[in-house]
Amino acid sequence: MQFVIAAGSELPIYRQLMRQITDGIAGGRLRPGDKLTSQRELAQQLVIAPLTVKKAYDELEREGLIRTERGRGTFVTTSASPLDPREQRERLRDPARRLLSRAHLGGVSLAELVSLLQELSAELQSERLSEEDRP
Amino acid sequence: MTIVDFQNVHRAYTEGVDVLAGVSFSIAPGQVVGLLGKNGAGKTTLLRIAMGMIDPQQGSVRVFGLDPRTQPLEVKSRVGYVSEEQILPSYLRVDQVIALHKGLFPTWDDDLAHDMITRFSIPGRQKIKTLSKGQARQVALLCAVAHRPELLLLDEPAGGLDPAARREFLETSIQLLNETGTTILFSSHYMTDVERLADRIVMIHDGKVLIDTELDELRENYSLALVQRNGQISRDRLLALEACLGVRERADALHAVFEMEPEKVEELLSREIGLTGARCTRIALEEMFIELAGGQS
Repeated sequence: MQFVIAAGSELPIYRQLMRQITDGIAGGRLRPGDKLTSQRELAQQLVIAPLTVKKAYDELEREGLIRTERGRGTFVTTSASPLDPREQRERLRDPARRLLSRAHLGGVSLAELVSLLQELSAELQSERLSEEDRP
Repeated sequence: MTIVDFQNVHRAYTEGVDVLAGVSFSIAPGQVVGLLGKNGAGKTTLLRIAMGMIDPQQGSVRVFGLDPRTQPLEVKSRVGYVSEEQILPSYLRVDQVIALHKGLFPTWDDDLAHDMITRFSIPGRQKIKTLSKGQARQVALLCAVAHRPELLLLDEPAGGLDPAARREFLETSIQLLNETGTTILFSSHYMTDVERLADRIVMIHDGKVLIDTELDELRENYSLALVQRNGQISRDRLLALEACLGVRERADALHAVFEMEPEKVEELLSREIGLTGARCTRIALEEMFIELAGGQS
């Protein structure tokens, strides 16, 4: 999987990397058991500080999305989400609140917001299906 | 264990005009610190003090726990330094300059040197004075890193380089970080380079450290508030607020930088000075630099 890093963005580089890996897993481009590029290699490839890559990998590992096996490398975990579902739900509370307040400020109704979420969910679903066709 | 330690460093070139007026910070092993500040802020002075090239008039500096002024050899053998200006002997050939440096450092790594000569296509038989600015900088960088120093001090290492040469410089630095875990203190005006390489930034302003923070925290915990000018809210009123780092006056609005998340700044403004509807946003490094460097004094 290829990553694109934009320096100068409002989003810190480690978060850009985290987001792209998370999207990759959610969209099926990265599957359980897939091996990720090593931290050093990725730092060299993307021309970013090794500590930045480490920070992204550490956070993703804490979230249970990837796992590092000593001497073997870093892999996408087999269970999509080893965290307890209630904890997962709690993790979404903050971003959901921000989303709601932005919708509110922008005059977007709850119903419209829900339909937007459904639309995006369908997109993700079809992405996942097309990925399953890959050899 | 700290690699570099500045304590209350003062330095003036003209009596009574302090370039550095009490700078204190220290750097842990493996950290990459971007040193920011506008032209004349004292970045070069600070790096030279760490190299033992000039003395602080007050305060102290320690590198690996040593005094670079009284123990220059012990310090310099473990440090790589690239200065802003070209300081290699211009009448020598490139290969002679490299051989000279190799002789000075017992830890010289021939493989790394050859690797860089090939990657940068460095012309060994040419005299230093015939090199382009970019080539001269690459030779300087090679001479600074081939002994695999524990600490790199880089003064505007990418100044005057084209984007491709700058990227090559970054790649070399990252290779060193990967392989050697080198500690780096570098000054730069290229904020995107700083964002790629640094994990911490120190910004010097009016002779003092104005910001010292992890880069990621800067982007998550700092914000810019745009306050409409309507005569009610003055610059001083904003500056008096806790967490307000600086205010820049523009024709239509006051731009205030806060060490606080945008949502909390909105609350603060409404609670403390009854101001609602100020636009508060997160701020990228480049904007932060412009707002603070342009709005303080």
